[in-house]
Amino acid sequence: MSQRHEADRRGAKDPDDIKRDTSAAVAGEPAQLTERQRAILVRLLRAAYPHDSFPDGPYERTADAVIAATADDQRLARTLGPDLDQLDVIAGGDFCSVDEQTVTHWLREYSEEPYFRAIRGIAVVALYDDHEVWELLGYEGPSVDQGGYLHRGFDDLDWLPDPRIEEYDGEPRPDIITSDTQGADA
Amino acid sequence: MSEITDARPTQHGKPIEHGDPVVVIIGSGAGGGTMAHELATNGVRCVVLEAGPFLQREDYVNDEWEAFSQMAWLDMRTTSGSWRIARDFPNLPAWIVKAVGGTTTHWSGATPRFMAHEFKALSTYGPVEGANLLDWPITLADLEPYYDRAEKAIGSTHRHGRPPLPANNNYKVFANGAERVGYKYYATGPYGTNAEPYDGRPASIQDGFNFQGDKSGAKWSIAVREIPRALETGNVDLRPQCHAVRITHDPAGKVDAVEYLDADGALHRQAARVVCVAGNSIETARLLLMSDSPLHPDGLANSSSGQVGRNYMRHLTGSAYARFDEPVRMYRGETMAGIIADEASHNPARGFVGGFYMETLSLGPAFLASFVEPGSWGREFTQLLEAYRNTAGMWIVGEDMPQASNRVTLNTDVKDQHGLPVPNVHFDDHPNDAAMRRYAYRAADELYRAVGARGVHHTPPYPATHNLGTCRMAERPEDGPLDAWGQAHDVPGLFVSDGSVMTTGGAANPTLTIVALAMRQADHVVDLLRRDEL
Repeated sequence: MSQRHEADRRGAKDPDDIKRDTSAAVAGEPAQLTERQRAILVRLLRAAYPHDSFPDGPYERTADAVIAATADDQRLARTLGPDLDQLDVIAGGDFCSVDEQTVTHWLREYSEEPYFRAIRGIAVVALYDDHEVWELLGYEGPSVDQGGYLHRGFDDLDWLPDPRIEEYDGEPRPDIITSDTQGADA
Repeated sequence: MSEITDARPTQHGKPIEHGDPVVVIIGSGAGGGTMAHELATNGVRCVVLEAGPFLQREDYVNDEWEAFSQMAWLDMRTTSGSWRIARDFPNLPAWIVKAVGGTTTHWSGATPRFMAHEFKALSTYGPVEGANLLDWPITLADLEPYYDRAEKAIGSTHRHGRPPLPANNNYKVFANGAERVGYKYYATGPYGTNAEPYDGRPASIQDGFNFQGDKSGAKWSIAVREIPRALETGNVDLRPQCHAVRITHDPAGKVDAVEYLDADGALHRQAARVVCVAGNSIETARLLLMSDSPLHPDGLANSSSGQVGRNYMRHLTGSAYARFDEPVRMYRGETMAGIIADEASHNPARGFVGGFYMETLSLGPAFLASFVEPGSWGREFTQLLEAYRNTAGMWIVGEDMPQASNRVTLNTDVKDQHGLPVPNVHFDDHPNDAAMRRYAYRAADELYRAVGARGVHHTPPYPATHNLGTCRMAERPEDGPLDAWGQAHDVPGLFVSDGSVMTTGGAANPTLTIVALAMRQADHVVDLLRRDEL
């Protein structure tokens, strides 16, 4: 992207911002989390987006994306660490060792809290844009350099018959159907 | 804002002097780009101001978020009203493109025409409480020759001898379901991506990235067809990254110039004999509202009707994602090359007026996760993503009701990167919209269950790509700002050339109709210029 293009985007939104109202947000430095706070965040993300087949890597990278995105919103940058500490308090010491069902139950109570909504808005973009996650879910990513899917299975579904691709060649579709026209048809 | 400078911004094509009063086109998408091409090939000189950069085929990327960051209109906007967008995507009411070629860069390619009765919504449907329905001042017959021309320009499959695209995996599920529930009017088009080489563009390689600009080049867009051809005429001066901020008029009320900011924020003034505004419905209304003057205190072209910014429509939308026992791999192949037209009829026995199309749709995991059920989390959310491989998807696109209170206004509390008031988009669903959406979701359920779906998820409307109606055409000046040619009733020389002009929205994807309307308007402008009546 050219410098001019970058300049043009100043004040514009990033994908990880699109679920938040940033019309009054102040940008600055990202949150400085302790190792403990980051570990709580990773556990929270795994509980919020549980996939049994996912290793820790995607959740770790998502946590770092959440932390980085706080640079766009100083209010979130200030409150993220203390809000995560609070989860240890709720757990009576170690949030990271609590089972998924219990964590989910607690998080339900906080579902509409601004910090949890903000974390989700950022995390849902970062986690599912992770290329390791694409592979785990069975998505093949960029295709044009490989000639698209023309010779790589765009039509390999074989559990249904091949359907018609041309338009219907019988009577034309009525644009307007009223009780009168239905009567006339019958 | 700074003083006006004579320095020249970066431009393409043959330069035109700032003092030369030419046709100034604001926006280079389906409407503005078509105007530029039609006028330039008829010998009319134009300046095209485009707020975004000149992205070309080599710039496009096969990556959803990277492409979104590259081309989406992400300038600050605000929202209000009861629609979910105001909560889920508070600063992103619309998913449109800021680049040369406008939202045709992102469009997938479905090209159904409007039906005759959709130009006569008020007389066909009768008054609908709370809806600001009106008949268009033109008919299907007025537009038919231009629909033919537009389909040939776009290269629509299934039309004018163009062959259909083959069935991809998502279509196989969709069409088999359609057949089993008794639908007849399904096909892989009409669709604006080549099934075989046409007009200098290659055939589809089924790459699945039409939404990201289509790096393969098989898709029609203004950026790949109309813009290069318009520049070749020597009659067009295209200025990317130039954001129009005010349209001015002479003491007699006729348009005389457009003020705009270049990429460095420098202010320029381009003299104009005619101005064609085509900034997409939100930005077009915003620009007119920002162009107030003593003669037009409520915004340019807004004196007689007060309707500028009102009747904002975004089409009834919704999506259905169905999970199966067997793999589908919906992302392989042309994204929207599958259309069912059976439900597009107006059939009030269903409990609503107007109709809707069902069209195949696929998102990658990155977009699906963000849009499938915004805000959702936990196992009921992740199971939707776990099923990605075995998921088929469709989009529902139908006519929504124009409402005077659904409107674009200037939000003077929030400023954009240029210090200008951002547009606020207020929207509430009309009961007719809600009834149609409920019916459409049930129809999608039945279709997918007929081919063995384990579950169908109903996704709420995305930020809109079909943005219509904020500057509607109306026979009488008191009903809408524009006449039957898209010229302002109140402002000589001012035309609107995008989807804002639509009196009502119809059920069809609007790009084909925007192109056809612009072709018709261009013929009219050329004629008026030749007769020296502009």
